[in-house]
Order: sequence, then C-alpha cells, then structure tokens
Amino acid sequence: MTDRLRIVGGAVYDPANDVDGDVRDICIQDGRIVASLNDDAPRLDARGMVVMPGGIDIHAHVASSSVNHGRRLLSDEHTADPAPAPPQLDGEPRSGTGGTIPSTFTTAYRYAGLGYTTVFDAAVAAASARDTHAQFDDTPIIDAGFYVLMGNDAYLLQQIAAGERDRARDYAAWLLGASGAYAIKIVNPAGVEMWKRNVRTVNGIDDTAGFANVAPRAIMETLADAANALALPHPVHIHCNNLGVAGNVATTLDSMRALSGRRAHFTHLQFHSYAGGNGKPWMSGAKELIAYVNTHSEMTADVGQVMFGPATTVTADGAVEYLLHASSGRRWVNVDTELETGCGIVPYEYRDSAAVAALQWVVGLELFLLSTDPWRVVLSTDHPNGGTFTSYPELIRLLMDRAYRDDRLKSVNQKLLANTALADGITREYSLREIAIITRAGPARQLGLTNKGHLGAGADADITIYARDANAATMFSTPRYVLKGGTLVVEEGQLRRTPAAHRLHVRPPFDDVMTHDLARWFERYGTVDFANFPTAPLRDAPVPTGARG
Amino acid sequence: MSETSGVMEHVTCLGCGCACDDIAVAVRDGYIVEARHACPLGAAWFGDGRVPAEARMDGAPCTMDAALDAAAATLTSARRALVYLALDISCETQRAAVAIADVLQGCVDGVSSSTVAGGILAAQRRGRVGATLGEIRNRADCIVFWGTDPATRYPRYTSRYAPDPAGLFVPNGRRGRVVVAVDIGASRGPADADTRLAIAADVELDVIAALRATLAGHSAAGGARDPRAAELARVLAAAHYAVIVYDAEPGAAQPASPLGRSEALTALGQQLNATIRAAITPLRGGGNRLGAEAVLAWQTGFPMTVDFSRGYPRYRPDDNAPDLVRSGAVDAVLVIGAAPAGDGALPAGDARRIVIGPRASSALPAPHIAIDTGVAGIHESGLAFRMDDIPLALRAPLPGPPVAADVVRSLGARVRAQRTAHA
Repeated sequence: MTDRLRIVGGAVYDPANDVDGDVRDICIQDGRIVASLNDDAPRLDARGMVVMPGGIDIHAHVASSSVNHGRRLLSDEHTADPAPAPPQLDGEPRSGTGGTIPSTFTTAYRYAGLGYTTVFDAAVAAASARDTHAQFDDTPIIDAGFYVLMGNDAYLLQQIAAGERDRARDYAAWLLGASGAYAIKIVNPAGVEMWKRNVRTVNGIDDTAGFANVAPRAIMETLADAANALALPHPVHIHCNNLGVAGNVATTLDSMRALSGRRAHFTHLQFHSYAGGNGKPWMSGAKELIAYVNTHSEMTADVGQVMFGPATTVTADGAVEYLLHASSGRRWVNVDTELETGCGIVPYEYRDSAAVAALQWVVGLELFLLSTDPWRVVLSTDHPNGGTFTSYPELIRLLMDRAYRDDRLKSVNQKLLANTALADGITREYSLREIAIITRAGPARQLGLTNKGHLGAGADADITIYARDANAATMFSTPRYVLKGGTLVVEEGQLRRTPAAHRLHVRPPFDDVMTHDLARWFERYGTVDFANFPTAPLRDAPVPTGARG
Repeated sequence: MSETSGVMEHVTCLGCGCACDDIAVAVRDGYIVEARHACPLGAAWFGDGRVPAEARMDGAPCTMDAALDAAAATLTSARRALVYLALDISCETQRAAVAIADVLQGCVDGVSSSTVAGGILAAQRRGRVGATLGEIRNRADCIVFWGTDPATRYPRYTSRYAPDPAGLFVPNGRRGRVVVAVDIGASRGPADADTRLAIAADVELDVIAALRATLAGHSAAGGARDPRAAELARVLAAAHYAVIVYDAEPGAAQPASPLGRSEALTALGQQLNATIRAAITPLRGGGNRLGAEAVLAWQTGFPMTVDFSRGYPRYRPDDNAPDLVRSGAVDAVLVIGAAPAGDGALPAGDARRIVIGPRASSALPAPHIAIDTGVAGIHESGLAFRMDDIPLALRAPLPGPPVAADVVRSLGARVRAQRTAHA
C-alpha cells in the first residue's frame, strides 16, 4: 500500500460530494482519502484525466455454488478464453480462464482492470455460504459480499404462514450472521418452492398455489419489514415473480405497490418489464414501470441490461431455466437446494437478429434513459445473465452517445420495437457525472456503504483514473490507474498488484429464543448439524447495522 | 475437551461422501477411543487417530525445512511436474496445491478423473439434474436405486437422507415413499425395495432409451415396448418428486458402469422434468474429492485434468494423473494427501515423487521426499464438500502433525522463490 499519494490535476467526478468535473487533487494516506497532505508526498499526475471512485457492482453472480456449477459446465468457453497470469504483476500472479463465468482470480483481475473495486454476489444459498467465502478468498482486490436467499426458505415460509413475523425477522437476522451475508435476497418469492412442488406458474403476488397463507406478497412484506427493522445497510433485494415472461410488468408493478412506502430494492428490472403476453406479442413495459419508479423515492433498482453476445443465465429461479432449456434445447443444470432455494443454469446468447433479444435490449435502455433519478436506478447486466461485466463499457457508451445508440438500434431486429419509446426517439445522453452515479455513488448509497462510492475525506481510497476518449467504451474499458484501498493495482493500464480484499457482511442482533425452535427444525429436517451451520467468524468486522431509525 | 482427553461433538466424517457431521469423537490420552454415531466405514476412517509425523528424504528422516527445500528444487528443476490432489485434505490445502501447479506450469488433477470422468464430461455436454441430500430427504416420494444398494458403501445414506427419515413433505418417511430397486447384472438394489426390476448389464442403456421413449409416448425403436421400461415409466410418472440414485464410484467391488450411464440418466431426468419433478444423483466417495473438483473449477475453470504448460489452464480430459505417470509425460509428481486405494491410485512410474499428506512417510512406493501431515477432519479443521456439493466444516478432535495447508503454502513460497531466482 502506498503510505501517501497525491493525485494531481484530474477532473474529479464525485457526485456524492457535489464535485462535477472540477480539477482538484485527491490526497491518500494509509488507504483512505484525507483532506490534505504535505507537499512532499509522492504525486500521481492525472492532468487531463478523469478521476472517479472505484466502481461498485450491486448485482452480479461471481462466487456462489451455482456460479461454480456454471464453471464446471462451461469447459468449452474456458478453453476458448485462456487468461495467462498478468505478466507485470508483483506478488503471486495466477492464470485462469474467462468466458461468461471466469475463474475467480481472472474475475478479480478483469473487474479491477475495468476500475471496479467492490462487487456483490446477488444469490447465495445459506447452506452453501462456506463455498462462497472460499471462492471470495481466491478473488483478490475487489471487496465483496453476498445476498443470502430467503424468499423460498421453508423455515421462513412456515413462520410467515403461522403469522410469526417476529420470529421470521429473528431468523432473517440469524441467517445473515450465520452465513456471513450482507443483505436479504428474494428470488421469485414462493415460486422456487412451487417449482420444487411441480407448480410452475405463479399467478400474481397473491397466488398461494397450495401454500397455507403464504403468497409472494407476504414474503416480500415480511422480509422488507425485517430488513428495515434491523436497519440493514441494504434493504431487501427482490427478484420478482415471472421473470422473463411477456406481460410480467403487471406482476412487477403489483410487487412494487405491495411494498409502497417501504425501503426496498428491485433488481434487474429489465427482465421484469415486458407487456404483451396472453396471446399478444411481446412489448416493452418499460415506460409504465419506470414512471412508477420515478415517483417512488423509497425504492431503488438496478436495470439488468441485456447486451448482445454470449451470456450464461444462472439463477436461483430454477423454474425459469427449465422453460429456457425446453424452448432453446440448450444444456441445462438444475440443483434443488436444501429446502432453501433452487439453482438453474442455461448458457445463452442474445442475438441482435432475434426479436425478443432486441426487445430486451431496448427495454433496458428505456429504463436507463427514462429514469429521472440516477441515484435510484443503477447499472447492472445481472452478470452473466444479461451479459458479462466486461460489457459495461459498451453499455456506458450506449448511454452516453446518442448517435452511436441510434445507429446500433437500426441494426437490430425491429419486429417487436414498433411503438417503443426508444424507437420513437430518446435524445438523452448520460453525462460523466451521471455515469459516476449509476456505477459508483448510486450503488454505494443504495448499499449503505458510507466509505465507498465517494472521494471525501475518510472514504476508502478506491479510485479509478481514466484517460479521456471520444469513444466512451474505450475510455471505460481501459483505465490508466486503479487504486484499491490506496494500493495502485493498475498502472498505465497494466495490472500490477493484487492486494487481499475485504469481506462485506452484517451481523444484526436477534432474539435468541428463536434458535430453540430453529434447532428443532434442523433436527427434524436438516442434513447439517445445527452447530455446524454457521460459518466461522470472518476476519473483517461486520458492517454496522442499526444506524437507521 | 483438553488436548488429550474428552469428547468433541458435531465432527464431520470423510469416510465416504455422505459426510455425516454428527459424530461425537471421544479422545483418551491423545487417541480416539470412540467415534459415536459413525458407521463401520466411519469408525475405520477415524481409527485411533494415530498418524506419523515425520519428514523423510530417500528413506531417511530429515528436517521439515530440508524436505521442503529439496521438494522445491525437485519441482522447479523438473521438465514437467504433476500435482495430484489425493484424499483427506481440506479445500484450503487444495487451493494452495493448485497454486503450485500454476506457478510450475505443470499439470494438476484430482481423483475424480479416474473415477467419474465420463460423468463430468457428460455433464459438460448436457448439464445435470440435481438435488441436494436435504431435498431428497424432504421431498422425494419415489426413489430409484439404480444398480446400487447404499448400505454397503454409504452405510448411513439410508438412515440420514433417504428413504428412511421423515421429511417435510414426506412425513411418514419410508412408508411415504416408493422405493424401486433396479438390479443391473450383479449390482443389486436394496433388498427391501417396494418394486424390483432386473436388467442385464449389456442392455442397460437400451432400457433407459426405451424408458425415455415410453415416457414420451412413443414405442421403443423396433416397435416393441420393453415391459421393464413400461413398469418403471408408470412408477416415475406417478411420482411428485422422483430421484434416481446411482453409485458413481462403485470401486473395485462392482463392475464398472457403462460409459454412457450418467449421460443417459441425465437425459432421462431432463425429460422427466417436463411433467414431474425429478433428480439424478450420484453417490460419491469420501475424502473431499468433490472439494478438489470445486477448487479446480473456481481456480482454473475446469474440474479435473488441468495442464498449465502454456501458462494458462488447459483442459486435458484424456490425460489423467495415472496416465501422465504411466506414460512418463511427467518427471516429478507432487502428491498432496492420502493415496486412494483403488481407482485413482498412481502407478509407480519413473518420476521423482514427493508426497505431502497423512502417512506420507509410509506411502508405497516409497516417495523420494515425504512429509507427514494431519488428516483433514481428524487433526485439521477446514472446508470439505459432501457428495452433493454442500460445503461442510471440518473439526479437528486431535492435535497432530503439521497442518497440510501450512506445509503446502510453505512449499509454494519456496517454489516461487526458486522460480524467481532462476528467472
């Protein structure tokens, strides 16, 4: 780590501190940003360059048991994309492979190479939390955390059915701490459990489909309230019912209305913003959905953009993947997991010549371009589901460069694009400040990361420095310098150092009485001893909870 | 418990892939005197916990430092080195071992390439239809034991997972499930099955094909319906959640399964999921072999047979570790862990051999360099994977020889230092 460093003369984009391209120095001491340094401190010349906080990915799949099932599946992709150890790297450089699900070290190197310094894995089964921690241990540089899957957890559903909402909250708190997670995740509430019971369709958020009193609405309400009562840094993170189905925008809006007035995060909106269906062709529902989001300041979202090219769909939403397998004939992994969740994987490719893929691409862009609050609607591709994280620079170019976007739009399948807002013409171009918000400051605020996503005194010295380029994709794919916790990890575009990363997790308090009931549950239905379920204490201290009223 | 006497509860056993984690290990005067709840396989795996703690070079005792220096010199001067992830090591040790193969630009492999390579390749072509043991226990109302009776090689499978225990959706346990034994040649299913079918070994894949055709509503090729397929199709179609269990690592005691079994069953499982819920679940052996697959996959992108000779991982499923040793393609072998007894045992070969692991000093053939470590799960804590890829904590009821992960990391540091010095 550089003890002291002054980054001199860059145009600083630090939206959280209302700095919008002002030329100023950034001072670093002992891994954090400080207000000033003596003149004798070493200097890094950033004149003519753009200085931003390190990127923060609020929703990606990089280190779960499901991701590793994907790695085991994708030997062909890995063969096609070898990743030798970075040649100039100090320390212990590691080789690996890429493709849509790169090996762990390669994942870290490529994220850092894009100027990203913090990543969250969005879907981890508590039963497999140890697997995720071990994969993170082999993912250097980028600070990481994960969201633990609860929306189909059988114990939790039973508490909700019994009206035991306090116990449900205590269980959620226990599970967060026991697994070393950062936030509560819901995937297709009740729908994954229904899939395991061979009920394949969730007819809206009040469909109990044979459950005693447990409809998606109750699950979302209970866990949103739990996260807020526990004052978690990030609210409940929701993947709605009916992902990828024409007409699903109605379900998505119902879900948002159900939590109206509550803090909640709705993820990969693009996959949930389709109109049409019921015999009618697919249509964009983005305009209607984003209008709701724009007027509800209590909620946050990420887009889940689809990018043309190879992808791998990997999700806890097993039912969706069966449909994709059945309709595409592609290889398919399904792993039903321990009364907690599911896992489904289908490798995929979004072709611009395909009507639905083109519509998905348009829907995502509409969500970005019609959003009025970049702080609340941030960038994601649901890596590797909508496209890989290495496509973020291209996505940024689509947002910043109208001429390029309009040109690209002309070359995609037009069949389903009539009457879409994008086809009608959207002139908006994102500014660098707005890009800094949707890739840094916004995710940090949504995640409650007070030391990240900004460049004020006290912040972690996670900093990315770009050389300006008329082509935003070029600019954002090749940062000149990246600092992580004050360590210069990228120099002159070369990965040079791989410091160990920190784990971001919470350990909220709970009423211990719940654990007596839970221990009986484990005895009755578990396959792992209750005493063995919690992960060992993590080296990094938990992120505080309870800061919010 | 004190260092030398007491009882440690909730200990995980790696005697087979069941990885039962409810073992109470009683220790007296530094030895294991009882492994409560353990099956005979588990009791044998724990034993009395006595392991040697030596370092040896060319048969003679030496210091750990001398052994590590010599090992690093052997590996860095080798034309081509093989790192072999054997048994009874934690994922922490496996992670450090793969790193050595990477820096050496050597090869690395685990036991699975010798036992389940066909299944791994089939899963890469087609995918898999899986369920963890907890889902089988709590949901499966129909369990087909495909040419296997878990009682012999996975003794507690039946009582811990299925079909015996009650589950959330199977409150009556065994009585709430239909158990089907499919006898394939001499490989018989459980004696107390509700339904029994016999298939000659040489027509197994034909019967699976006929079963698929019957389920799809077609008659089998040639027009005649196979009565066994028709019966099995009827039972499966009536299930809510059907699980087919087969032994992916039957060992030397059983005839080897046909190469296409795993793929044919996976295709069947994928087809079954059009109408019912179904899973195809292999039984796997012990010693954390699934951990080797997982670690290799996340560090390299491939679950077995990785070759770093070009400076990045390449997948070489036709060149597994025993082949590399037998053919003389490698001139130094670093074995990490306890050698498997049957499949996956390395032939003698001409390569210089370094063994770091439990009982390394008594390994056969005698290694050129041997460093004894503890057994993961007896003397070392850490991470291991169950047969269904669920990660489990290992506890260490006994203190022991040097910890394998520490020894391997120390070797890795020396290898890197020597590589740098040569560069």
